[in-house]
Amino acid sequence: MKDSKKKIKEAASKWEAEILNPRVKRFNLDKSPTNFYTPLSSDNSHFLEKVGFPGQFPFTAGNTPFEFWRAYAKEGAKIGYRSDWGGTGRSGKYGGFGTPADYRDYLLKMQSMGRIGGPNIAFDLVTQCGYDSDSHFAEGEVGRVGVAVDSLQDFAVIYEAYTGALDIDKVPSNFTINAPAAVLIAMYACLAKKRGIPLDKLTGTPQNDILKEFIARGTYIYPPKQSMRLFRDTCVFCCKQMPLLNINSIGGYHMREAGATRIQDLAFSMANGIAYIKAGLEGGLDIDEFAPAFTFNAFGGSMEIYSEIAFQRAARRVWAHILKNRFNAKDHKSMVIRQPITAHIGCSSTTLQRPLNNLARAVVGGIAAGMSGAIPGAFPPFDEPLGLGHSQEAVQLQLDASRILVFEAKVTDVCDPWAGSYFMESLTDKIEEDSLAELEKIEKMGGAVAAIENGYMQRAVAKSAYERQKQIEKQEELVVGVNCFVDAQEIDVSINRSVEATYDPELMKTAEERQKANLARLKRERNGKAVLTSLRNLKNQAEDKDKNLMPAICECVESDATIQEICDVLREVFGEAQPMKL
Amino acid sequence: MGQDSKIRVLIAKPGLDGHERGAHVVAYGLRDEGFEVIYTGLRQTPEQIVSAAVQEDVDVIGLSILSGAHLSLTKKIMAGLKAKGANDILVTVGGIIPEEDKKTLEKMGVGGVFTSGAKIKDIAAFIRTKLGEGA
Repeated sequence: MKDSKKKIKEAASKWEAEILNPRVKRFNLDKSPTNFYTPLSSDNSHFLEKVGFPGQFPFTAGNTPFEFWRAYAKEGAKIGYRSDWGGTGRSGKYGGFGTPADYRDYLLKMQSMGRIGGPNIAFDLVTQCGYDSDSHFAEGEVGRVGVAVDSLQDFAVIYEAYTGALDIDKVPSNFTINAPAAVLIAMYACLAKKRGIPLDKLTGTPQNDILKEFIARGTYIYPPKQSMRLFRDTCVFCCKQMPLLNINSIGGYHMREAGATRIQDLAFSMANGIAYIKAGLEGGLDIDEFAPAFTFNAFGGSMEIYSEIAFQRAARRVWAHILKNRFNAKDHKSMVIRQPITAHIGCSSTTLQRPLNNLARAVVGGIAAGMSGAIPGAFPPFDEPLGLGHSQEAVQLQLDASRILVFEAKVTDVCDPWAGSYFMESLTDKIEEDSLAELEKIEKMGGAVAAIENGYMQRAVAKSAYERQKQIEKQEELVVGVNCFVDAQEIDVSINRSVEATYDPELMKTAEERQKANLARLKRERNGKAVLTSLRNLKNQAEDKDKNLMPAICECVESDATIQEICDVLREVFGEAQPMKL
Repeated sequence: MGQDSKIRVLIAKPGLDGHERGAHVVAYGLRDEGFEVIYTGLRQTPEQIVSAAVQEDVDVIGLSILSGAHLSLTKKIMAGLKAKGANDILVTVGGIIPEEDKKTLEKMGVGGVFTSGAKIKDIAAFIRTKLGEGA
């Protein structure tokens, strides 16, 4: 460096005295409303150690120089390729509603329109909480936020849409399922067995991230420790039997949406990740045998574009260090955060007020994504806060925004464009440092499981949510159309949202009754003795904590035991998690 | 209601919906506004909510529902309150509530619906007015 630190320091003092301070004084301010960063803010002489090249440790600059989608982006654009519709070997759009037959028919209709991605299944809350459609908990919820699945037969009905060229050895499956993940993974394995497909051909991702359910999102069943035993069993089973299947999809997204700060998001996600790794090791696996099959679905996001880019850089570095230094991973695949997206704004950044503004907000998230190693997805569609379900118009605008960022703004032509920025490097260091301090606090409590058992992480998130609300109400944080620029002269711009609902509302209305009839028929027709035998065996196995429960769960699933019957047996042995009061 | 008796509020999460942010924020916020707040935690049945409201002798129930099941769950709770002779309790609903459902909820007897962007102080003022304190 030509300029010495001393020289810069002198220049900085001079600048402050002659330029900055007089200006601050002139406008009667306490301090400058802007910051300026210099080589004094960030020591860039450790480039290889702290940033490195894309695809190399510590992965600050990215997991790879360019992702798969980027390789053929231009060619795809010329022929109008819709990556959101999936393709063979890719998963399709996240969705699910009604009965298994309703959703199967919907998927077949989508396929006839060229949307041929693998199943990316949203389950209804009844299924997510380990109940059957005839449970009193199910009333009003069956088939509502996802498809209802009570048994292997239901699961198989959905997959009637996936045969031949789209059979399950050819397309991946995603399951957004956590507490009963073991049951759904067992169903997937049993379906393959029925179809004569070897388990080692199966691909896909179960979410299987139970810890964040306690901190946010809320679909837990058993207490944290017992839940982690099930995670261990799925981890070992997937690793040994279905090596191409990802084991989990760890998320900070839900915690941030529930109110967590950026630092809590990163620290809690890392703490949860560490707990999962420990579970795999406890199951007798070698770190490089299973860690490459860990994925992340997303961290949270916000409108603060600089901080979100820095967050992604810091997250990659922190995880890489944890895997390499703490768990002695040797394989680089164990050290990277594999996630489908990077930065984004998060649904909680969108506003119900003047909702078309959410498109502008989503574009900011798209830029942050493009600058931190992902497709610049302008997520979510602008009508996100208006109700459950996006209009086709909003989805079109979202997709086009992303395309404009790639092809017109050329945002993704540079990998980690902020590398070496005095500002960005210092911000990345700060986020890393603060989240490591928070992580250490959790580790001192005994790790993620202990910090959930004592309510620390849950309360921290709730308090942060309230702090944010107070800041908005006091106008310390400004949100356009919410707590500023709300006068009568502002116009609420609206566009037509004329396209029909994604899912047939008539089917939604009758789904509960029809699914209850399906379940009643199953219970009448199945071999009751086989069900009882398999459930009894599961109970025996569950009582010995060293036993891997997956074979017993597979046996239950194959005998057409229902999700609730299986979960009830485990509720009996494990007990149930209690809701957190404030 | 006397000067020293605080307004008692039950914040409740009926059904299986696990989105707690709104419930947490409103619970903390109303507490800071000087209300006595009880939070049920997740996954309460309508029956549990009704009996908690009666047992705790609350003045207000704030339901938080983001799963789309607000109509059927609220209907049950309103019926349950009526059956227990507790329909003098002010019921409010918060969450993702489509515009067209607001009227349906009001017809059921819901006093007010608060969606994303609602301010704590407005909710508090609404409750005080409805209970005849702030007017």
